[in-house]
Amino acid sequence: MHNFGYSEEGQDGSLSDIRLWRRVWQYCHSHVFALFGAVLLSLVVTLASLGLPRLMQMGIDQYIVHAGLEQGTRISGLGRVAFWYGLCVGLIFLATFVQVVLLEWIGQSIMHRLRQNLFTHLLTLDLGFFHSQPAGRLVTRLTNDIQNMHEMFTSVMVTLFNDGLKLVGIFWFLYMMNWHLALVMTIFIPLAVLLTVIFSRFARVQFRAIRSQLAKINSFLAEALAGIGVIQAFGGEGRSRNTLAALNQEYMRRTFGQIKVFGAFMPLIELMGSMAVALIIWYGGGEVMQEQLTIGELAAFIFYMRLFFQPLRELSQKYSIVQSAMASAERIFQTLDAKTSLHIVPGFDQKQFQALRNQGKIDFQDVHFAYEKGKPILSEINLHITPGETLALVGSTGAGKSTLISLLSRFYDPVSGQILVDGVDVRQVPLATLRQRVGIIMQDIFILPDTVRANIILDQADEPDRLEHILEQTGLHSFIDRLPQGLDSRIGEGALNLSLGEKQLLSFVRALYRDPTILVLDEATASIDTESENMLEQAIEAGFKGRTSLVIAHRLSTIRRADRIVVMDHGKIIEQGSHDELMATDTLYRSLVRLDGQEE
Amino acid sequence: MQDVSGSTSPTTIPVSLRTLLGLIGPTFRRHWLRLLGGFIALVVVDFLQLIIPRFVKTAVDSLTAQTASQPQLLQLSTMILLCALMVAILRFSWRYLIIGFSRILEQKLRDRFFEHLLRMDQPFFERWTIGDLMAHNSNDMATVQMACGMGLVATVDALVMSTAALGFMMAISVKLTLIALLPMPVLIICTRVLSGRLHHRFNLVQEQFSLLTEFARATLVSVRLIKAYTLERLQENRFSELGEKYVRLNLKVATVQGLLFPVATLVGNVGMLLLLYFGGILVIKGDITIGSFVAFVSYLYMLIWPMMAVGWVANIFQRGVTSLRRINRVLTQEPIVVQPPFQPLPKKEQYTYTCQKLSFQYSEATHRALDGIDLTIGPGLVGMTGRTGSGKSTLCKILLRMYPVKDSMLFFQGVDVNDLSQEDIRNNIAYVGQEPVVFADTIAANISFGRPEATMDEIQAAAKAAAIDTDIAQFSGGYKAVIGERGVKLSGGQRQRLALARALLCDRPLLIIDDALSAIDVETEQQVLQGILAKMEGKSVLLISHRVNVLRHADRIVLLDAGKIVDQGQHQDLLANPFYRIMVEKQRNDA
Repeated sequence: MHNFGYSEEGQDGSLSDIRLWRRVWQYCHSHVFALFGAVLLSLVVTLASLGLPRLMQMGIDQYIVHAGLEQGTRISGLGRVAFWYGLCVGLIFLATFVQVVLLEWIGQSIMHRLRQNLFTHLLTLDLGFFHSQPAGRLVTRLTNDIQNMHEMFTSVMVTLFNDGLKLVGIFWFLYMMNWHLALVMTIFIPLAVLLTVIFSRFARVQFRAIRSQLAKINSFLAEALAGIGVIQAFGGEGRSRNTLAALNQEYMRRTFGQIKVFGAFMPLIELMGSMAVALIIWYGGGEVMQEQLTIGELAAFIFYMRLFFQPLRELSQKYSIVQSAMASAERIFQTLDAKTSLHIVPGFDQKQFQALRNQGKIDFQDVHFAYEKGKPILSEINLHITPGETLALVGSTGAGKSTLISLLSRFYDPVSGQILVDGVDVRQVPLATLRQRVGIIMQDIFILPDTVRANIILDQADEPDRLEHILEQTGLHSFIDRLPQGLDSRIGEGALNLSLGEKQLLSFVRALYRDPTILVLDEATASIDTESENMLEQAIEAGFKGRTSLVIAHRLSTIRRADRIVVMDHGKIIEQGSHDELMATDTLYRSLVRLDGQEE
Repeated sequence: MQDVSGSTSPTTIPVSLRTLLGLIGPTFRRHWLRLLGGFIALVVVDFLQLIIPRFVKTAVDSLTAQTASQPQLLQLSTMILLCALMVAILRFSWRYLIIGFSRILEQKLRDRFFEHLLRMDQPFFERWTIGDLMAHNSNDMATVQMACGMGLVATVDALVMSTAALGFMMAISVKLTLIALLPMPVLIICTRVLSGRLHHRFNLVQEQFSLLTEFARATLVSVRLIKAYTLERLQENRFSELGEKYVRLNLKVATVQGLLFPVATLVGNVGMLLLLYFGGILVIKGDITIGSFVAFVSYLYMLIWPMMAVGWVANIFQRGVTSLRRINRVLTQEPIVVQPPFQPLPKKEQYTYTCQKLSFQYSEATHRALDGIDLTIGPGLVGMTGRTGSGKSTLCKILLRMYPVKDSMLFFQGVDVNDLSQEDIRNNIAYVGQEPVVFADTIAANISFGRPEATMDEIQAAAKAAAIDTDIAQFSGGYKAVIGERGVKLSGGQRQRLALARALLCDRPLLIIDDALSAIDVETEQQVLQGILAKMEGKSVLLISHRVNVLRHADRIVLLDAGKIVDQGQHQDLLANPFYRIMVEKQRNDA
């Protein structure tokens, strides 16, 4: 299949954007010698390839048809020409091989660096950025966009350079031999360029049409297969079949469009080649008759023009690749230019913070937050949590509970107000230090495809005794013992799959192993199996001891364990107090509990 | 009648080439005229192309002999142009006819493939992952198309071109032909070996690329968790390792690629070198004319492509056959659930579904997933609960006839299900699965999936009963809003309620809800339940749930454990059961 490069919403890059080229060049900088080598090899290949017809012509004119010379001299002379010919042939082979590998190496190294830079950069950005950019699009930056640029580096830039060089060389030789005929041949340059540009435009349109239709077929199929149970249960087979048949029909129609475009272009290029031969015979033959041109030169003209038409077939494709590569480069650099909004405010004293290590005091002071202006997510949050206190956050979906804990871990900064941990504004604390102190157990979990142990330890020091102690203390030993190889069981993609409950247990151990002063738990909303739930409850009991804890609670048993319950609604704190206090009066809390139907 | 254990594994016996060709043969026969036209055009093109060097030869010879005249040269040029024009037209024709044929073939095969998949049952979908089937649909279809299009063209083209070019060359000088062809076998072997290896290494690169993509995706999707645990550095290092391996694999591809194309040039050039030297000597000795020499050069050029094609085509066909074999393997699978002939479904007032000592075992499993279930689902609400893996979902799927059951175990309307057609049973069941399925279509189309003819009022009523109507009203576009990546994104609870609305709209006598209210919050839950009860008045509902507040509405609660019914009764009765009691207490306000 002809590849015209990945493209996003039909964007094309501008080839004349100097600023963009300059940034691309910065990445090539460190490979300048290798690049120079590649250019040198390019020259060798071009010169040697162009030398071949010339040598052939010399062989014909000076020895093969040179009747004036003795036969032996002619043959030995031909031998010398053949020797040079062979040398060129060997040189072309070697130089091309080295060039291909060298360029791949350069391209891949540069792209690896660019990809790594981009990845590292992405991880420094704040969650607000990820809020606005779908993950799929960012993955594309890291994969397809980089691939696009690589394509340009290796196959395109160099062949364009090679072909350009060849073109100049061909016409230089032609003009050297006979400028009349060479001038006639020159008309093929604008003709070829015009044809190529027109074709590449058509081909690109066709190619995209086919690709997008295939994508439609694929996504329809994926969806249908994922939902096959529902399709069959509801008798939707016939309709699904018709939908796919229609998509498939359209796909075939579009491929026919492509066949027509390619079917027209390839023969047209061939036709031009034959036109060149015809012209050489007619006009060049006349020159030979007037002894302006030798037979060998006539043959050389034919060979050179063949070389001229050879790369044209691919030129259009390459032009398109450069275009989409520039568009990719632009998107990549745009992403690299995105800045995090979470700056570290100076004034932080590491020692002082460490001295407060055992505290765990949290203060929200008149905190307001919104993703967009005019749509407040949190407003007027004033909350003071004393060291060692357990606080339950209660409220319906969208009340702002998750946002509140996101602010504490500083995934975002509040629009106004302050959040203090142990009296220090979180904006002053280095993110790593802050997040070490605030341990979060979320509903979902990130699992490394590795052992359970590695998943607990993560970036911390491996202290088996401490891990053992934590497991002992929280009673999570029985969870680990349930796994086939205990702590050494492999989990994640292609290995053991943990249930929702088990994931939350793992999450819990993971958080405790980091020994946070403040523990934040986002309790699972979905029902988890009773066994895991029992264990989790026990672990919560042990884990909360001696720590400041914040729980987004869904289970009454958890809520009742809290020292204080904070009820949130529409981004505001509306009630707080103990369970009994809140149940005593007509509160939203009481109605929530009642709704749960728990009164017997 | 029903063989439950006899599921064929995906690794089946090798299929003869004849069977495989039977898969595409009919399409070949139906379009024989098109193919014939294409190949005739192709052959004519080849001959015309071979004639052009003859004109060049005549011109060069007469120029050398100094007998040439302007009118003669003009005539020869005109002939060349005319031939070239014919070539262009015919080339377009064969491309349109033959490549077009391969696209038609692809379309037919894909239609058939999908039609087949729609008939398959659950055991099949357990053996074949969606990823596999998707790969068959895109990659394998593409390779078959390639083999039947460009592969066929290249074979015929190479065959005609090479024999003809060889013939012309032989006519000039047999000796010189043999000399010039000396390096050609090297090219055939090299392209064959190298393009096979290239394909293999390229696959490795593709795999690594998917790993890289998947890693980036997994990281970026969980960026919040990565940050919470300060895993940035760890992820960077892992990403870098993957990237480095990707670079290495690419370089391996480059070494093969760097050989493959230059080898072709090398062999061609060496042939030319031999021609220059030995052919030159023949001209000097007067054995052949200089015109023949120049024509010979042109013929040799023409041979390079067919020689390269031989290796290339062999690989294309090999891959095509492998792909066809993979597709065939899917197409020869038959669902084990269906076994005609069927009895008509007796019409009765009340619908009943009865299990009698129903046992079931998954083909790979060591234990029975269901073990001696005795259960009648008649009018009213049957609640069901039990820990994960106790067999609840399996039972639902068996009731839906997604898995085969042995005779005399399961009766619908008093008739053994194996004597009834799947459609007759399914048409009476509405189902909401554990993981609710929604399609990338409008909200209205999703709700009316089981009854496309439903009116907007009916759709709205179903949405209201499933308590999703207020959510829908908030989407821009309302019922016309499209769900999916580019459209409305639904929360887990919304998806569940949407799936429920779909089931309610069908208005079928039996409704099965497999733990599909789990992500709905407490306030909405009761509302949804009331909606279901109102709609299903006098009909049968099987409701699986972990929530006591849902179960307590059931006329009867069935407690499942390890594939067995361990207890059943009303809420109050079951409080005596320790498992149920713990569950109740867990979820209860102990105040």
